[in-house]
Amino acid sequence: MHLIFQFFSSLRLTVFLLGFSIVLVFFGTLDQVQYGIWHTQEMYFESFFVVWAFPAHAPGGDFLHWVRVPMPGGYTLGSMLLMNLVTAHFVRFKLTWTKSGIFMIHIGLMLLIVAELVTDLTAVESQMPVDEGGRSNFSQSYQDNELVFINRSHPDHDQVHAIPASLMKPGQTLDVPDTDFSIRTINIYPNAEIGRAKGTTVTNTPATQGAAVRMGIVISPLPKSFADDEINTETAYVEVFKRGESLGIWLVSNVLDERFPPQMVEADGKEWELAMRFQRQYYPFEVELIDFKHDRYPGTDVPHNFSSEVMVRHQDDNKTQKALIYMNHPLRYEGLTFYQASFANQDKTSIFLIVRNPGWILPYISVLLMGLGMCVQFGMHFVKFLKKRR
Amino acid sequence: MNQSLARIALAGTLILGLSGCEQDKPTSYLIPKEERNVTMPVPAADPAKDGLSDTAVASAPGTMQVLPGMQAAADEAGEIAYTVPAGWEEIPPSGIRKANLKVADENGSAELTVLVFPGDVGGNLANINRWRGQVALEPITADKLPEITENYTIAAHRGLYVRLEGGAQSILGALLPFHGSTWFFKFQGDSGTILANEDAFKAYLDSVQMVDHQH
Repeated sequence: MHLIFQFFSSLRLTVFLLGFSIVLVFFGTLDQVQYGIWHTQEMYFESFFVVWAFPAHAPGGDFLHWVRVPMPGGYTLGSMLLMNLVTAHFVRFKLTWTKSGIFMIHIGLMLLIVAELVTDLTAVESQMPVDEGGRSNFSQSYQDNELVFINRSHPDHDQVHAIPASLMKPGQTLDVPDTDFSIRTINIYPNAEIGRAKGTTVTNTPATQGAAVRMGIVISPLPKSFADDEINTETAYVEVFKRGESLGIWLVSNVLDERFPPQMVEADGKEWELAMRFQRQYYPFEVELIDFKHDRYPGTDVPHNFSSEVMVRHQDDNKTQKALIYMNHPLRYEGLTFYQASFANQDKTSIFLIVRNPGWILPYISVLLMGLGMCVQFGMHFVKFLKKRR
Repeated sequence: MNQSLARIALAGTLILGLSGCEQDKPTSYLIPKEERNVTMPVPAADPAKDGLSDTAVASAPGTMQVLPGMQAAADEAGEIAYTVPAGWEEIPPSGIRKANLKVADENGSAELTVLVFPGDVGGNLANINRWRGQVALEPITADKLPEITENYTIAAHRGLYVRLEGGAQSILGALLPFHGSTWFFKFQGDSGTILANEDAFKAYLDSVQMVDHQH
């Protein structure tokens, strides 16, 4: 046991871990070019172990494509750095006034590592596009899709039954929550090209119902795109069962969005809308975009300001609020932060990035602690120095 | 004391790590009534890639891109006068829409829009096929056109009336060539509502009066 503590509290371990961190960041940056930010983060920083492979299309790739560099991933380095700091601190240091600054710095640093882990595990980012004069009460995931059955028969509300696409595996049957439906995924593709078959007969499609049959749609699977500005067209063939009886096979895809008539599943005299779409998060408030400004420097096309004037209307009237969202000036509302992310439709639509990060305040506290700790420690040295000089 | 603190730190990290393993679960929830006219825009840099490799299946109902010149042409074409059928909701005309009415009943809801464009906008067949796509009907050829259309008089000029019954949605429409422009009267919505209100739509068309400088 004593040997374990000796290992974990050693300074040599700290140096090794920091060295590996530099290596991890270096190779992660290299790989971001081909894998995009989301996937690189998953591979390098949200993992325990990662192997970098020399990209085949880089210069020298013909000779060096076999090169592999294994290294510990972000979780390994982060947790070991934390254990290293904690054990070193409590094994070696004694609680005295003269070292109080160092304690504060170390506690701040420990808090920072923990804060990063909390953010990684709990933070959710989504996007909300709103048209000028329009309102929105939901945001959409950038990456994750869901299969939804929507029941619009009630006059006062709609009921959404959602299954995350990550749960859909070929051949597997899943129950649709709160309904008598179940679905069997015939096949699911993270990205596909969708088009109409030339000619009148459609071969090669398992679909027996819905838009695929009506519009003669065929698909060809594509590899998943990591480019930050491309959308992966999540597509699947699903068989819908009502109490065990098959109602047919539908093609669903997140490209078949509100521009197309909805695909309907009929059962027991009722209709459900069936769709594949980006995962939605609905909120108890609506964001109305009053005006979006895209100011350019006069006489040029160079932007100098993007701003969105919004009115947020909560179901609970006293939480209604007007706000101006622009660069470096997000709206913080109900535990969410709204950033001005992008725009579309010739400046008629504003797109917000919404971040829910319960641990957002931790890095601020940690940096404050570290700053104070340094002031205290160096202050004490400074005072001692001044006293000696007299 | 030191050992137990270190153990707590280890355990804490493990617990945090395991809690992150909460997978997505199927859920079901209620939302306020939605109107299906939201489109997911593509960021400003790229033109809309809708993934359909053949000609686009349908133009976006209600969210058409207003190209330069459209608004100016619409303003030049002048306003129309009409009588709002009983029980219908009138929304102030905006942008290039010359009129905008809505009606809802136990079968669903429907919306009437009136737009005007210079020229013939591709001709009757192209426009009717575009409307057919919007209610998930197959396009037709010119020889079939007389089967689904009939002549109809609007504002003392001859127009073309068309009934398109799709599955869930239907369109009743009229195209009116009028001195160098074409007026589009489109009544689209849930099939039950549309068909129940066909007479009201025809009565609306009969009530339309347009400024005519040429006769």
